[in-house]
Amino acid sequence: MSRFTHSSDGAAAAIKETAVQKLSTRAQRDERLGWSLVAPSVFIILALILYPVLYNIYLSFFDVSLSEGNTFSGLANHQEILRDSEFWKSLSTTMIYVIFTTAGTTLAGLGTAIVMNKKFPLRGLIRSLILLPYVAPVISVVFAWQFIFDPVNGIFMDIFYDRLHLFSERFSLIGSPSTAVWIAILFAIWKNFPFTYLMILSRLQAIDENLYEAAEIDGANGWQKFRHITLPEVYFVVNAIILLRVIWNFNKFEEVYLLTSNVKVLSVYTYLKAFTGTMDLGQGATLAVLQFFILIGFILFYVKKVLKW
Amino acid sequence: MVKRKNIFRSIGFALLVFLIVMFAIFPFLQMASLSLKYQWDWGNPSFIPKQINLEAYKELLNIGQELKNVPESIVLLLEEQPDLTDAQRKAILAKYQDTGDVFPFLRYFGNSLILASLAALMSVTLAVFGSYSFSRLRFRGQSAVQRGVLFVYMFGGILLLIPLYKVFVALGFISTPTGTFISLMIIYMVQTLPVSLYMLGNYFRTIPFSIEEAAMIEGASRFGTIWRIIIPLSLSAIVTVYIYSFMIAWNEYLFASVFLKSFKEYYTLPIGLKTLFNSKNAIWDRIMSASMLTALPVIALFMTIQKNLAGGLTSGGVKE
Repeated sequence: MSRFTHSSDGAAAAIKETAVQKLSTRAQRDERLGWSLVAPSVFIILALILYPVLYNIYLSFFDVSLSEGNTFSGLANHQEILRDSEFWKSLSTTMIYVIFTTAGTTLAGLGTAIVMNKKFPLRGLIRSLILLPYVAPVISVVFAWQFIFDPVNGIFMDIFYDRLHLFSERFSLIGSPSTAVWIAILFAIWKNFPFTYLMILSRLQAIDENLYEAAEIDGANGWQKFRHITLPEVYFVVNAIILLRVIWNFNKFEEVYLLTSNVKVLSVYTYLKAFTGTMDLGQGATLAVLQFFILIGFILFYVKKVLKW
Repeated sequence: MVKRKNIFRSIGFALLVFLIVMFAIFPFLQMASLSLKYQWDWGNPSFIPKQINLEAYKELLNIGQELKNVPESIVLLLEEQPDLTDAQRKAILAKYQDTGDVFPFLRYFGNSLILASLAALMSVTLAVFGSYSFSRLRFRGQSAVQRGVLFVYMFGGILLLIPLYKVFVALGFISTPTGTFISLMIIYMVQTLPVSLYMLGNYFRTIPFSIEEAAMIEGASRFGTIWRIIIPLSLSAIVTVYIYSFMIAWNEYLFASVFLKSFKEYYTLPIGLKTLFNSKNAIWDRIMSASMLTALPVIALFMTIQKNLAGGLTSGGVKE
């Protein structure tokens, strides 16, 4: 009997051993397979995203020329940019642009999400119509916006000059930098609020209806329900969207440049510096690096101080 | 009293919905209406054209352009010479046809289509395997890879533009149109790859592992399960991600404008349209109809994935 148990113990141990072995070979196989499947993507991202970013930082210390080699110039690019008043002007334009587009997009998105969360006829159709601005290519909608504010034929001047007599003459709102920035902001809000709305709506739909019913029994009015139930529930998603929106809008190029050449946010300023006129690629690289570090600084500030993560 | 308040409320609500919808679609209405208007009708603020003008669309789509710009005397002359061969007729007519130079819409459309569909295809193919790897397999560095993918969101296009341009110039790609086209294709693939990886990874995590396990117990290899189970089950997600990547590439302007600057034949729609707008050929109806034709494929594609997204494929596949 004792021999029998002994032998069965041995068998069990043997089985266990092979199982462990199998497990470890399976883990090893998984490891190898895991890396080989993801390797092409990782390689491409490293080679074409991470390397360029580092190379850009390197370039910012050089006087870059496409035909001849690069000449090391130390911090000359940086100094020149920091002394350039155009840079500070475009930085402040960018700040105004980012603050107002982010605030506007978030508020419009939140409001729309709350409205669309209620039941009403044709809701499905209306929900997809609202997504159109976000879906349509930037290039295909900028000209319609330009026409709306066109000084001769546009509907804006038709209403505000011909009918309401608010202005003393017809003029182009997109034409002058001081007004164009507000049109660019309005355009960005229009283009991006559907994304915010969609994100918030999917969070709203997950809120337990019972919470509202309980609040109603306790005598809460609409505002109180919004303040004490809706807002805390969407708090996280709204903050995440604000963070993303700041990152995206800080780097925005196409939505500004294609609409008007009069609003020089940092990306546009860099583009013009690097690829038009004398094509100063070194300064362009420096500008891009500065823009990147300003953004990182802001993100750290926002995450630490505002979100308190 | 209560009832009256309710009526006011629902009217107010309907008004709110109407305002939101108008805000969203007003520029589209403007675009559609202007593309159908004659020049003398532009100043008219109404969206309904007094007389429908399809000339701009016909010109862009190259419909019925054979006899446009051809002087009447030449047309008469051709009619009176029945012994001319077709080839000769075409040669004579070709001298007068220069609409293609105004804005070769179909050509730019084709360029955009090739570029975007190939870039999206490469991106999605890589992403299927990459995202399967980090959403399903355990390996060292897995979470670093996953987080690294998200980190890429922080880099704006302008930060990558200068170094990538420099690199591709140094490699000699930019000197030929084909090389430029290929470098743009690679860049678009890279730009959409992180999004594809992220979206597909999220989707794969929703597929119950028990389905895969069952297949593997029956002797299927990992590749076998990816091919026979993961891909068919996530087909709707893959199509969605493909279309999303396609849209990103279709809309791209920044890189295209720098890389393709000297190859007019290879322009994509965004640069083509921007160039048209700044040229002497800029006429509102032409610009608006080109805008419409640029937006329509993308909007149509989006509408198809919107429906696809609703069908949860996994719910029928396994029962807990």
